[in-house]
Amino acid sequence: MPETTSATSVTRGLLDVDPFRRYRDDSARTRTELDELLSKEIPAYASDDTSLVAFGSLARGEWTAGSDLDWTYLIDGQANSDHLRISQEIRKAFLKTKLQEPGQTGIFGNMAFSHDIVHQIGGQNDTNRNTTQRILLLLESQPIGTRTEAHERVLRAVINRYLEEDTHPLTQNSKAYRVPRFLLNDIVRFWRTMAVDFASKQRDRAGEGWGLRNAKLRMSRKLIFASGLLVCFNANLDRALQSEISTGKNDVKLKLASHIRNQLKSTPLEIVARSMEDYGVSAAVAKGLFSSYADFLNLLNDKSSRESLKNLRSEDSGTDAVFQKVRQFGSSFEQALSHIFFENPSVAPLTRKYGVF
Amino acid sequence: MRTIGFSTGALARGDFRKALQMMAGKNLSAVELSALRQDELRALVEQIETLDLTAFKYVSFHAPSSMEREFERQALQLLEQVAEIGWPIIVHPDAMYEPKEWARLGDRLWLENMDKRKPIGQTADHLTRFFEVLPEASLCFDIGHARQVDPTMSEASAILSRFADRIQQLHVSEVNSQSRHDRLSFESVLAFQRVSHLLPNNVPVILESRVEEAEIEEEINRACEALTPENQLALTGD
Repeated sequence: MPETTSATSVTRGLLDVDPFRRYRDDSARTRTELDELLSKEIPAYASDDTSLVAFGSLARGEWTAGSDLDWTYLIDGQANSDHLRISQEIRKAFLKTKLQEPGQTGIFGNMAFSHDIVHQIGGQNDTNRNTTQRILLLLESQPIGTRTEAHERVLRAVINRYLEEDTHPLTQNSKAYRVPRFLLNDIVRFWRTMAVDFASKQRDRAGEGWGLRNAKLRMSRKLIFASGLLVCFNANLDRALQSEISTGKNDVKLKLASHIRNQLKSTPLEIVARSMEDYGVSAAVAKGLFSSYADFLNLLNDKSSRESLKNLRSEDSGTDAVFQKVRQFGSSFEQALSHIFFENPSVAPLTRKYGVF
Repeated sequence: MRTIGFSTGALARGDFRKALQMMAGKNLSAVELSALRQDELRALVEQIETLDLTAFKYVSFHAPSSMEREFERQALQLLEQVAEIGWPIIVHPDAMYEPKEWARLGDRLWLENMDKRKPIGQTADHLTRFFEVLPEASLCFDIGHARQVDPTMSEASAILSRFADRIQQLHVSEVNSQSRHDRLSFESVLAFQRVSHLLPNNVPVILESRVEEAEIEEEINRACEALTPENQLALTGD
């Protein structure tokens, strides 16, 4: 049931204007420039077995001044010791761009192998790094250049893997898809891991970078989580998908896998915008969400504010003017998300059913 | 019983007479005459009339998988002779330099979806572009190629759903990581079964697995197993 005032035109309008358009264009341009640079420095740097994949703001279409350049050389093919050399050459080439290097965790700026990403879901060998690579691959990754095959294959394989373990993809009367629980639980786990790691990093790094990490946790990381939940919920809510249900076991999963893959071709912001439209979220809520997110991106784009956040320690946050802004738009953003997930008549029942227990 | 047989190229590369000998007496109802290299084309076309193909109720012809640009016109002239017999001609999309010219083969032109080594022709979207230029063409669905491009079989499912009306022949084999056609492994049988419910029942099947003569029947049986739907109902609520 749609809420009173439809968000359709508002959400579309909000994503098609500045600052979103500007940051999206900057992301696309940067990806193209990086491809041109690499093609010159390391001709044919990717192949049908390898893709260079961007993550973070570069992949989400939220590239601002000072954004980190998060990338992975994704390998889905025969093991080859030259892969390390190629990833080192890529790193060397990127250093010349003077763009911000990936963070200290080693999750990015490195190689990643499809086998671990696809096979190690859960269990002792699913490391923090592996979970992060897998979930971000699903929710915020974009291949750089034209060799996109390995990226596409791995994404599909991961989605397939989640669905393989869901033995009951349909509701009891076979009239609707269930929310894919295995995928949803992994996305929830990832969000909680990020939140726990926030505290862990604070301890490990003696408070260094606290302000920026806090702002990202309140905004961009929360956005990724919300978009992941919405993709899972959409399996149950999308009417066109339900109308295609057939009786074949394989057909049921193939259709759901394709549906999820298509959803994930959009950026997290686009997923949220489309959900607002699909579920009739009010224009006021939509406006609250997108304007607070625009404030966040604009603040990150401002060199002095970003620097100030980077240097801010938790003990000084109460009096810091920049952080007060973060609190303000963070609160508006959360309020809008709360409305969608806890009050919207389509989404709220699923949040209750799947969100906590 | 499906109309099923082998590609001569898979059994004996360019030696089509040897391949036909290998197939004799094996109760195979289909054959694909292959001229996979451009220098094999003229010899095969010129000898068609001398071949005894009476054992087969279905015959198709595989055009060279790649050719030099200068050879394209000549190839088309030779293939027109094959089209006149009425046999379908299987063509790799990337082998065509001027796709519009291939419209001369009319409805005898059957395009094949490609393996991951090729720059185009692997996905439903790629193929759509070719069929826009060649609306009369049909599709020879290579299930091994589709699996190599996407082992989850989502792309296979997309191709089978989108081109259900165009599919006229199946190519079956395991396509390994070097894009070579191999015997069917258990892994590929499992993957093919995942989309077997979408495969048309009545279209001929041509195996491209590289097998010895003694292995032909076993490979045929394995292919039939791979292409048979599981008939399993969807699992519902618990």
